[in-house]
Amino acid sequence: MVSPKQDIRIGFYVCHCGHNIASMVDCPAVAEYVGQLPGVVLSRDYKYMCSDPGQELIQKDIAEFDLNRVVVASCSPLLHEHTFRNAVAAGGLNPFLFHMVNIREHDSWVHTDRQEATAKAKGLARAAIVRVAHAKSLPVKKVPIHPDVLVVGGGIAGIHAALTLANAGKKVFLVEREPSIGGHMARFDKTFPTLDCAACILTPKMSEVGAHPNITLWSYSDVVKMDGYVGNYTVTVRRQPRYINEELCTGCQECIGNCIYKEPKFPDEFNEGLGKRKPVYISFPQATPQVVLIDPEVCLNFRHGVLTDKCKKTCVEACGDRKAIDFTQKVETREIKVGTIIVATGFKPFDVKRIPQYGYGSYPNVYTALEVERLVNASGPTSGDVILRDGRHPQAIAIIHCVGSRDKKTNRWCSRVCCMYSMKLAHLLKEHTGAEIYNFYIDIRAPGKGYEEFYDKLNEEGVHFIRGRVGEVTDWAMTPEEEGKLVIRVEDTLAGFVRRIPVDMVVLATGLEPQADSQDVRRLFNMSCGTEGFFLERHPKLAPVNTFTDGIFIAGCCQGPRDIPDTVAQAGAAAAEAMVLIDKGYIEQEPNTAYIQPDCSGCKSCIPLCPYTAIAFDATTQKAVINEALCKGCGTCVAACPSGSIGQNLFEDDEIFSEIDGLLTN
Amino acid sequence: MTKPPAASLGLVAHKAGSKPGRPTVGGRNGSDFKIARTIKYESDRVVSFGRDVMSVPGCEQLESCIQRGTCSGVCPLSIYMDYTPRQVMALTRADFKNEVLRSHTIWLCASCYACTVECPQQIRITDIMYELKQRAILERIYPRHFPIPVLAREFNAMVRKHGRITEMVLVIRLFLKTDWLAALGNWRLGLDLMRTGRFSLITERIKNHGDIARMLDAVDHPKES
Repeated sequence: MVSPKQDIRIGFYVCHCGHNIASMVDCPAVAEYVGQLPGVVLSRDYKYMCSDPGQELIQKDIAEFDLNRVVVASCSPLLHEHTFRNAVAAGGLNPFLFHMVNIREHDSWVHTDRQEATAKAKGLARAAIVRVAHAKSLPVKKVPIHPDVLVVGGGIAGIHAALTLANAGKKVFLVEREPSIGGHMARFDKTFPTLDCAACILTPKMSEVGAHPNITLWSYSDVVKMDGYVGNYTVTVRRQPRYINEELCTGCQECIGNCIYKEPKFPDEFNEGLGKRKPVYISFPQATPQVVLIDPEVCLNFRHGVLTDKCKKTCVEACGDRKAIDFTQKVETREIKVGTIIVATGFKPFDVKRIPQYGYGSYPNVYTALEVERLVNASGPTSGDVILRDGRHPQAIAIIHCVGSRDKKTNRWCSRVCCMYSMKLAHLLKEHTGAEIYNFYIDIRAPGKGYEEFYDKLNEEGVHFIRGRVGEVTDWAMTPEEEGKLVIRVEDTLAGFVRRIPVDMVVLATGLEPQADSQDVRRLFNMSCGTEGFFLERHPKLAPVNTFTDGIFIAGCCQGPRDIPDTVAQAGAAAAEAMVLIDKGYIEQEPNTAYIQPDCSGCKSCIPLCPYTAIAFDATTQKAVINEALCKGCGTCVAACPSGSIGQNLFEDDEIFSEIDGLLTN
Repeated sequence: MTKPPAASLGLVAHKAGSKPGRPTVGGRNGSDFKIARTIKYESDRVVSFGRDVMSVPGCEQLESCIQRGTCSGVCPLSIYMDYTPRQVMALTRADFKNEVLRSHTIWLCASCYACTVECPQQIRITDIMYELKQRAILERIYPRHFPIPVLAREFNAMVRKHGRITEMVLVIRLFLKTDWLAALGNWRLGLDLMRTGRFSLITERIKNHGDIARMLDAVDHPKES
């Protein structure tokens, strides 16, 4: 170990990053300036420090010039600190004798004056040079990883990630909020562009999840708390009462047939309220787990959700010896330990009532796309017969694209799937009804395998495509043929005039937006969000399933709108990333832990402040003790200690103060 | 709308009748500004017109048009057109028969086939233009004094009657039915043609010229039935 301030030999490198840095910062000037600073033995500028030759340069120089500190001024440490630490270690130095200066994100990319930017780069480099002299050799901290995985969300993303991990022999907990897994995909009729039936391709995977020995499936449950750190998370899951014992229920559904309500009476959530269900129900025929549940809000044995026991309980009679019905069930909480977590909480369809001019809610024959998915589905409320809310069969149908997408008043982003699912619905509606179908679009976005061909096919089927954003849907007739119809008022921008088109049915192609509680989920798992509210990936191109919290991965539409193939690919990627950690068996952590110095007065003020309960009090020495395995290096105790008796590796006082000095002196 | 230079078209388009429902070019100066309804109602469509056109051999590919506008981009005459070729395709598909058949575009088409060659969807746009022209003549809703449909009709009528054409007579009939004053401007050209023997003053005809009419009728017959 090199003792500080004694024979410091610093090597400094400034990276051009192609033009990213060099266009705004005079890199040779920075290198020349730093070369004159005390302790600097060597100062170079180089086009790409992160390249193999760049890294080899560092290694060669360490040997040749006997360097014992290295500073690289380049991009964000988030991108390449790891690269350079490895290069320094390969050169025979302790990796923590390296310091990185960000002159790209913090300098060249955000400034427009080359002279000022160069001066700033010099200042930042100077601060790092004086700081790095105080750097200490530190050991890399290794922490074992718990091999179990938690997957949050049982849509196609969660299902695929859970199955991938389980098939690799990992134990998986799959937590789903709804009574059944399947998510939005389970409600779709067909999938574009191949038109294979969504249920046919999804339900085998669902039952595989239900039967897999490595998967613990908790439906009707949600995660309420997460503690710990990568490799060692403690998660609290809340299980809602189904009033059915999952172990005893066989899924025979005799209770449903024998319910005191002879006819289904309550809006069926799975069918978007278009169908009816009883108080005791199963979401859909292929629901997984095949377990019924009782809705205490409408069951006669409850009153406003509180058990009254006043019903004749014909369901219990029907259940008989199976004794699966248990009206006394309460909310249960379970605590589990996992090493990694995959968040796949999906999306929420845009609320079409936010665009009142399209008439949803006022005109009964205006539908959302998801409603139409159920309407054309053979197991839907009408068994696939497209009957409008007023009982008619439609002769002409309008499909309005971009409802709640590409609109600064609602959601700015393109929801990516609406063009394709609108065309799929156009095809299905034409097939089911033979009606004239009009698509109103801004642009047709069909960027996928077989997607453009599908668009072509729709054109050849005689579906009308009218380019223009619909102004309004109205029932106010201006001509006789518009009487009794819904009229679409739109500029046909390709023909060059405004048109009024009477139709019987309007389908709103709703966009995708973050789940209503996405902010809570974000906080729960310590993730970040973009401005639109979708969970933020660590890097948009190179780390698309990682988050800024190690060991937490994202997959599917919770990260941004995407179609099923992309979701499945991403879920597979998230599973693979989790396995990278699990199979390695341990993780290397930053040795940024706090430590108690001998002059601790034992005042105990740090103990309640530690968010990770890493500090305990040693009664024999009358001093605080930090459990290094639990310390996350947040620095709260360091700042709070009244006697300044807590130090922190990588953030020593002399390191920080010398850096500030370096920045302020000229 | 670009006003065509008179010289390039010989017999000018400005007499060809203004398009219905649109303020005329002169409107810019406020001289004959007219306000007319431009919105299209469902009753402005002639349902199945598009389907009919697309059922004609050679025109089927129109159904796969996604309105890229390549045709308008390559068309050397689109700069003079009221509707661009792309718009004509859109209007045809959307059953706006009257707009299409009254447009100048179909008559300005010079059959250079650039659009057909370039169309990424392999739509035979020139052939569709011919189909539309034929329908316009049959329906008698082409622009009345526009020289190109008049020429087509006169040419056809003369061939039907005599078996061949007599340029002199054809040109005179064309001038009379479109813009007879324009003939005066071309007197020198006519004189030169006559001097070199390119203009015959005698009506030319073939033997058994009635057979031509019978043959043409036989060709047309299946279409009329």
